[in-house]
Amino acid sequence: MSKSPGAGMYPPIAKLNLAADPRKMRRIIAEDPEWSLTVVPLLSNLCLQHIVRNFEEKPILEELLPRHKDYVLERLSPSLPLQVTANLISDDGYWKRCCKQRWGLCDVSSYGHSWKRMFFERHLENIIELYIPDATDPKTVLGMVPLCRNYVKRLDISQLMPPIKEPQKSEDDDNSDSASDMGMDGPSMDHFDFGILLDKLSHLEEFHVVYRVKGCGMNFEWNLFEFTFRDCESLAKALKSCKTLRVLRIHQSKVDDEKCRQLVNNLLDHPSLKELNLSHNLIGDRGARAIGKLLNRSKLESLTVYDNNIRGPGAQAIAYALAKNSSLLSLNLRLNRLGDEGGQAIAQALLKNRTLKWLHLGGNEMTEPTATVLSQVLVQNNTLRSINLSCNRLGMDGGKVLEEGMCHNSSMVECDIRLTEVGQESDYCISQVVRNNQNQAHRKHNTEENLA
Amino acid sequence: MSQTGNPREDTEEAGPSVDSENPEERIAARRLRIAARSEAKKRQELGDDSHEKKEIKEEARKSQHQVEQSEKRMIKLQSDGTELVTNIQVAADSRESQRQTEVEEAHRLRVEKLENEAKSSLEKFEEITRKWTVAKMKEIPQDLRDSLSSQQQLCALLIEDKNKLILELQQEMKLSDDRYVKNLKKQAEDVDLMIERMEDQVKFLMGSYRDELDQIENSFEHERKILLTGNRTKWEQYMKERRDKELENVMQRMKRVDEYEVLLQQLRTEDAEEYNMIKIKLDTDVQILEQQLQQMKATYQLNQEKLEYNFQVLKKRDEENTITKSQQKRKITRLQDVVNNLKIKCANQEKQSREENQNLTDDYTRIMQQYKHMQKKMRHFAAIDAKKFEEVWLMNEEEVKALVEKALDTDRLVHEQQLGLAWQRPSLAFMERCGPLQPQRQAQKTAHQAISELLQLGQTSGCSPGKGNSEVEREREGSEAEHSGTVSAKMVKKLLELLCDEAGFLIESKLLKLLSPLEKDEQSLMKLDSIFTAMGIESEEDVYKLADFFMKYRHTQGEQTQDASAKWGVASPQAERGEFTSSCSPPSDLIHPNDVLVALRAFTAHHCRPRELATSHQPSMLGLGGRDDTEDAAYWEAMGDVIPEAKLKIWGALETALYKYHIVLTERSKFITDTQSLKQQNTELRMLLHQYVNSRVNAELEIPPNLVMQLAPE
Repeated sequence: MSKSPGAGMYPPIAKLNLAADPRKMRRIIAEDPEWSLTVVPLLSNLCLQHIVRNFEEKPILEELLPRHKDYVLERLSPSLPLQVTANLISDDGYWKRCCKQRWGLCDVSSYGHSWKRMFFERHLENIIELYIPDATDPKTVLGMVPLCRNYVKRLDISQLMPPIKEPQKSEDDDNSDSASDMGMDGPSMDHFDFGILLDKLSHLEEFHVVYRVKGCGMNFEWNLFEFTFRDCESLAKALKSCKTLRVLRIHQSKVDDEKCRQLVNNLLDHPSLKELNLSHNLIGDRGARAIGKLLNRSKLESLTVYDNNIRGPGAQAIAYALAKNSSLLSLNLRLNRLGDEGGQAIAQALLKNRTLKWLHLGGNEMTEPTATVLSQVLVQNNTLRSINLSCNRLGMDGGKVLEEGMCHNSSMVECDIRLTEVGQESDYCISQVVRNNQNQAHRKHNTEENLA
Repeated sequence: MSQTGNPREDTEEAGPSVDSENPEERIAARRLRIAARSEAKKRQELGDDSHEKKEIKEEARKSQHQVEQSEKRMIKLQSDGTELVTNIQVAADSRESQRQTEVEEAHRLRVEKLENEAKSSLEKFEEITRKWTVAKMKEIPQDLRDSLSSQQQLCALLIEDKNKLILELQQEMKLSDDRYVKNLKKQAEDVDLMIERMEDQVKFLMGSYRDELDQIENSFEHERKILLTGNRTKWEQYMKERRDKELENVMQRMKRVDEYEVLLQQLRTEDAEEYNMIKIKLDTDVQILEQQLQQMKATYQLNQEKLEYNFQVLKKRDEENTITKSQQKRKITRLQDVVNNLKIKCANQEKQSREENQNLTDDYTRIMQQYKHMQKKMRHFAAIDAKKFEEVWLMNEEEVKALVEKALDTDRLVHEQQLGLAWQRPSLAFMERCGPLQPQRQAQKTAHQAISELLQLGQTSGCSPGKGNSEVEREREGSEAEHSGTVSAKMVKKLLELLCDEAGFLIESKLLKLLSPLEKDEQSLMKLDSIFTAMGIESEEDVYKLADFFMKYRHTQGEQTQDASAKWGVASPQAERGEFTSSCSPPSDLIHPNDVLVALRAFTAHHCRPRELATSHQPSMLGLGGRDDTEDAAYWEAMGDVIPEAKLKIWGALETALYKYHIVLTERSKFITDTQSLKQQNTELRMLLHQYVNSRVNAELEIPPNLVMQLAPE
């Protein structure tokens, strides 16, 4: 590239002589020892380089030959404005470079092996996570919508900033403690309004959100972890408007009964929602009742509400819904307070249900009575494949009852009864049965595969 | 505080681990196998591919066991590992649930405690307030001070209680903070432990996978070796067999070679003899052929010379031909030009002639129109001429009649006055008639009419054989009498019918088709008409002539039936009348149907000549040309001969006599007049004399007449 112009003038002559007389070629080499035909850039290459250099002003890509296109894509700068590149470049190589340059650590497998999707999802997440209400212009988010609308399938929002009166809020700003304390009392504690965004993302399938601030360190305030009613309202409406949503996850956001009910009310009859995850919240019995209502008015396949405050009545409501449900495949009620009342209700429901495959009731203060009903379930139900009863005080008797039930079962592939104070014998027996079932299932699967 | 749970743990937990173990395991095993296979493929040449595949297939049964075992082992290892890892989580779960229960319990206790405290403090407060009212009543300052101090003490106690509670709560808070920190630490440791275990697991699993892989590979290798050795022994065995076979073949071959050599020797000697013989024979042949060759060469020389000569000649000719060809070509081109010109001319000519033709046709049509016009005019003039002629005729006749009358009158006068004879008026028949003489013959009926009449007659006679047709018959007879009188209408009719049947070939087939829907009589009428037109018979006369001819022909033909036919033919009127009464006629003997054609031909031959003659002096079809004027002269002659010759002689004699008498009379009258004039002159002279005698006037005149006569001319 950095050849002297004199050398650039030779090639046509040299090319002619190359065929005629090799000595003349050697003479040229003698004049310029570094010269070689391969060093001279082709005109097409020069043109392509020019295109690369002026891509921002004049993006020419689709008109090029595939070979040239690759050449240009390899050399395009990752810092080109997105307005130019977003809808023009579909080559993953370019986006890979963009991602690598921006984040360094990238795992493309969790983005469907699409670098472009990864770039836009992470870009949008970044924008939203750094969005400060009343301080940031909503246009920064909305401006991205037309660019990334076609590529964003999942949004994983790991923090949401509350509005702040100070011009800037950062973790190392120690003085803001008291000031922000005062500010928190103000009426406007709402976070980013998803209503302006979700209905525009036509390909969004997964939505994860946490109403909290990451890494606040010593600036911790309760107010930073607030999920206001208005937030809830706007989020619920936004979710309702997003018709393509399949997975919804709201973690650690202080979702209490009222908010849960509001969310559920807006999610009723959602056309595509398959997975709902409301773990690490404050959902009580009323919220659980709402969720039970949702179970039979949606296409939910997976419901996860662990580490909440659901007690007996709530579990009964869910069990009532479960008994009539025919779509739910997985239910996780870990670390709740179901007690025997709720556990029995769920187990009774399982006697009627024929779709649920995966159930987690760990850490629910259940005891022997539940175990007896569950043993009945083990005998009668042959769709349930996995059950987790860990951290429940089932006791020796409960273990024996379960062992009996397990002896008549052939579908259970997994049964977790750790820390349930069952006897070692029953534990062993149960694990034996489970292993047998596993082998059978494995064999069956293998033969099926061979046939296929 | 409660939501400080470890999110990483949760995410770990979120994906079902055990359920997915089996497929993962299977996928891993399959991947392994595929990798091994592809590696083997890479290492080995492409040619060994099929062999390798087969081997693998064969091995699969043996090695499957190993694979399954490894799979099982790995599943076990994996589940154990996951259990090991999840143990931490479960422990954390149980701790968490324990903590929750503890917290709940503590919360409950705290609430209880607070409530108790609130109750007790409320009591105390009420006591204080009560005491305030008591204190108000007190008026002694000492008491008041006491009560105030007691109040103060009480308040202090209350505050102390509260402070204690606050302190307790703060301590509790601190404790829970500590616990929180401890929990955090514990969880961090847990997480670390988990990570450690996971890493260990990963390492361990990787190692074990590798081991298993090695084992599987070893087993495969082993199997492969066994197979290889087996195949090699097989291979060697086959090789040995082959070698033996080859040896045997070689021996056989050598034996056969010897045999063939002997045979060859034999053949060779035989062939040598044969060869010698053939050589001698061929030598002679060669000599003969050489001689022939010489001869042929000579002839060849000759021929060559001849051919050369011919060639030269032909060359010359060719040249000439080329010249003539070129000439011809030129000629052809010239002629082509001429042809082209002629064609153009011809085209022009054609065009011209077409135009001319067009003009001429136009002229022709015009002239035709003129001609027709002329004809019309001519007809018109002819009519006018005829009329004029009549008028002239009438006028002349009138005049002539007047003259005749006058002549007769004068004759009568001459007779009565001069001669004194009695005059008789001669018979003058022609005087009565007036107008031009009409031709006596009436228009002849055409043949068609005649036939139709005849047929009509036949019909009517067929229908009503009574009196009804007698009148017609009579009339017919009247007309027939003019022609021949020998042939009766009935006969003619029969004859015609016969003719209609026999001479059908003269009718056009198209006409027959057209006629088919008509009635029978109509049909026969039309048929006869066409036959007659074909034969050239036009008038009724011809028809009767034909009938007559037929009769005669039959007379001449049939000798044996002569009498009967003569009776038929000659005495037709009577016979017919007789027949009409009987109404049925056996016409079999009229003429034999077979003879009709012959007769017809004879008739046409006989008849045609007069026809031609007749047609020659019958050119005008106008119909008014042929007026015969032969009688006119006679007529007019008769007119002129009113006064007969004798009388004219008389008239001549009388004239001469009268002439003489006239002369005498004129002389006499002349004399009379002479005398009279002489008498008058005499008288006049007498008078003059008298006058002169008497008149003296002259003398008296002053101016003499001579003078006047002289002056007047000036």
